[in-house]
Amino acid sequence: MSDLDPVIHVQARLRIMAALSSLGDGDRMTFPRLQQLLDMTAGNLSVHLTKLEQAGYVEVVKSFRGRTPTTSAALTRRGRVAFDDYTTQLRALIDPPKEP
Amino acid sequence: MTPVDDDAPPPSAAESLELIRKEQAAAARTLELNPLLYYVPWGAAWLIGFGLLFLRYGPDGRVFVNLPAWLPLVSLFALMALAMASTVLVSAVRGRGLEGRSSWQGTAYGFTWFFAFAGVGTTTSHFARLLPEPERGLLWACASVGLVGALYMAGAAVWLSRDMFIFGAWLTLINIVGVTAGAGWHSLIISIGGGGGLCLLGLLLRARGRR
Repeated sequence: MSDLDPVIHVQARLRIMAALSSLGDGDRMTFPRLQQLLDMTAGNLSVHLTKLEQAGYVEVVKSFRGRTPTTSAALTRRGRVAFDDYTTQLRALIDPPKEP
Repeated sequence: MTPVDDDAPPPSAAESLELIRKEQAAAARTLELNPLLYYVPWGAAWLIGFGLLFLRYGPDGRVFVNLPAWLPLVSLFALMALAMASTVLVSAVRGRGLEGRSSWQGTAYGFTWFFAFAGVGTTTSHFARLLPEPERGLLWACASVGLVGALYMAGAAVWLSRDMFIFGAWLTLINIVGVTAGAGWHSLIISIGGGGGLCLLGLLLRARGRR
């Protein structure tokens, strides 16, 4: 378990990555909906999103809908690859590939 | 689920995978359209509305059930208005808090329905008055159902949905059969094949989503 990506390998960030990985290509989820989906506090979500953004795994977009500022997030290409690698590693830990 | 405020990793690989599975399933539940609320109201509107049209305005002017003349069309339009309200509500709930590509696709597709029906409706109303009464109704019905079939197939191309394409093609096919069979029969065919088909599509997608 020690070789697993430390950015993803904590519960809060793993949950964020898993939720965002369910979005289609080119889609983003707004902060309030993500917060509701994950049942996290705004502060907690914000801290972990920032860590994922700093790692280049998540893109956070700030925009305006009318006069209301909105923040939305999506996995980057790098984040999707990192998440796929992470789940592949987990499966390998549970069911190690057999030696030929 | 209780908020996780610590930075602890899940205790084992199996638990990490279980957490991912749970989170993805929860996300999928909120991101998918509820097929029962999306398709079945339209199916019921067509099944009942076109069914009443058949009973009141049957083939060759036959009246199978002596309903008030206004009842079938009023029922069809009232039920379609309810179905439209359900579609708007379901789409709004699904799209809330989502931005980007699929949001744009949904908006463009919604406007496509609006503009397509505005164009076909104007054209049909212009030419329908030149026809005798039963043919007038048939023209309205076959132009509208044909358009719905084409829009379903176009929607299938947008969302890469085989089910949507099959339904659109089926609707186009039974519409052609109905027009060839004539006024009255068209209502029966669309009631069962179109309305029943939409109900079946909703139930099928729901059953598949639960597996």
